[in-house]
Amino acid sequence: MKAAAFDYARAGDLAEAVRLLGEGEGSAKLIAGGQSLGPMLNLRLVRVGLLVDIRRLEALRTVEEGEGTLRYGALITHSEFEDGRVPDAGNGLLRQVGGGIAYRAVRNRGTLGGSLAHADPAADWISAFTALDATLQIEGPAGRRSLPLAGGLLGAFTLDLGETEILTAVEVPRLGAGARWGWHKINRKTGEFADAIGVALLDEERGFCRVVCGAVEGPPVVLAAVAEALRAEGRQAGRALVPAAVAEALPALDPVGRHLHVVAVQRAIDQVFGR
Amino acid sequence: MKRTVPLALTVNGDPVEAQVEPRTHLADFLRGALGLTGTHLGCEHGVCGACTVMIDGQPARSCITFAAACDGAEVRTVEGFSDDPTMAALREAFSQHHGLQCGYCTPGMLISARDVVARLPGADEQRVRLEMSGNLCRCTGYMGIVAAVKQVAGQVAEGVLPPGLPTGASLAGLPRVVAGGVSAPPAAPAPERLAETPAESLLSEADASWQALAESFTVGHPPAEVWRLFEDVAAVAGCLPGAELSEVAGERLTGRLRVKFGPIRGAFEGEGRHRPDPAAQSGLLQGSGLDRNSGSRARGEARYRLEPAGAGTRVSVEVRYQLTGPLAQFGRSGLVRDFAGRLTAEFARNLSARLEGGAGAARPARELDAVSLTLSVIWSRIRRLFGG
Repeated sequence: MKAAAFDYARAGDLAEAVRLLGEGEGSAKLIAGGQSLGPMLNLRLVRVGLLVDIRRLEALRTVEEGEGTLRYGALITHSEFEDGRVPDAGNGLLRQVGGGIAYRAVRNRGTLGGSLAHADPAADWISAFTALDATLQIEGPAGRRSLPLAGGLLGAFTLDLGETEILTAVEVPRLGAGARWGWHKINRKTGEFADAIGVALLDEERGFCRVVCGAVEGPPVVLAAVAEALRAEGRQAGRALVPAAVAEALPALDPVGRHLHVVAVQRAIDQVFGR
Repeated sequence: MKRTVPLALTVNGDPVEAQVEPRTHLADFLRGALGLTGTHLGCEHGVCGACTVMIDGQPARSCITFAAACDGAEVRTVEGFSDDPTMAALREAFSQHHGLQCGYCTPGMLISARDVVARLPGADEQRVRLEMSGNLCRCTGYMGIVAAVKQVAGQVAEGVLPPGLPTGASLAGLPRVVAGGVSAPPAAPAPERLAETPAESLLSEADASWQALAESFTVGHPPAEVWRLFEDVAAVAGCLPGAELSEVAGERLTGRLRVKFGPIRGAFEGEGRHRPDPAAQSGLLQGSGLDRNSGSRARGEARYRLEPAGAGTRVSVEVRYQLTGPLAQFGRSGLVRDFAGRLTAEFARNLSARLEGGAGAARPARELDAVSLTLSVIWSRIRRLFGG
């Protein structure tokens, strides 16, 4: 229950962090809040040669308001979303999601970028930001690149991020003022990882509708047919398609797991129309 | 021996300077180096809440926060509230409502409660239960704890007790919100996803403790030609991302399978055997190995079969595997299945690429972590074998 020995370096800026990761030759690992990596190091599921701490990089704690977009620095913590200390691109969705992650003591240190880079399928942000159609900003030795979150999640715990690259910010289109959302998370105990997550977004102003089935075995699944039916034909038509869409997207689920996911998605849809 | 790092922070109002091993977590530093044994350690992986302390005025888990990461921080432990009337009221209320029995969880409970009454004065029972859910108590059944916290939250709401911490610890470095002007570089096209074949398991009786996966693909060469590749076990193993053969003696194989699963890396070293059946143009590749770092064990087998499909060949691969030990406990079964599914798909894809175009068909390495680790090794091995 104690981590194996490693070296530690506090990066003074982003360029130094990238350089340190490169010098680690594959055994270096970035740490920010450390709320996922810390336990895994303590359990010795993970061993590293060098931890590169970027928690103090102020440049990654900025929120930029653009034209119809918001760009969140990767080091914004979950509790900062929960407390409304940053503008909410999702009309309250991000506040709700942030406040439901683990426990307050974890939310105070855990960061948005860390959670997305860790890409635990059962975590909250990957589902919420997939629904919001987020684009990740990534810095590396070769400069800066953008990566759409929906295509960048390659599998469980696997974001398309190189060993020496750093996720620096998350950019999302801002929902219109009349946009509605639903978020339903099923877990056995408050703060545990989810067994199922359903997200539904309907922004009629922008003609944007997205339904996501999350906390699955791989990346969150975008249920495009359900969203199209919701947008074109309304609540009941969308709702009715959920069981078939979930079964098609996740054929390996057992009946109980499938039912949980169907219910989570349907309840999220109900919230969209219920508020 | 890893290098120690200098650390300067404030603990319960006093400046502290020390050299620490980077792996020392804050709780061990407080208890061991400073003798502040009021902070308790329960699970040591951030679940039970016994080690909760205030860092810069906010509750945090000291067992999963490394001491080295607290340079410059203001840390307050359960010993550091003697001048705080609100914490005094919480202690009194815990006693009055029987909010403790053995007392092991109490330091963490008090720290979390101190934050709840400051942030949410007047919180009702349901809210108190929700907010305190990250602190486990195995004695009381929580009734007394909830009553105590609710009572003090009410007193703070009435203005009888101050919400703020005595030092007025400020929340350091709030996020800055600025009007943008910086435009994002154009998004790169989404990477091509691995083709997903419906998992039609051909196994007659699937043992529940095994996970099974199936993949198939078609190549434009007749079965006899394709079979020549399958008789070369090194070539077949080389198509499995992360696999490295160190020795081939008849049907016996020695080697290892390296996997990267998020931040977790494993190297399963072990033995296996390859039994091709030329008459049926099918074969079985089996192996088992141990990851020395984690003590986890993996066993698996891949069955393959060639069948004519028009002028070409249909190759079917079925994979069955079993993972035991710490890595298996970590990996909720669906996650390991997702990983094994990608591994199998990649295996099928590499075989197909090898048959269709040889080394030139190697794909960019960043598509699958396990691949990026070893693809170059695999391909250089195959190039040597085939003189490519």
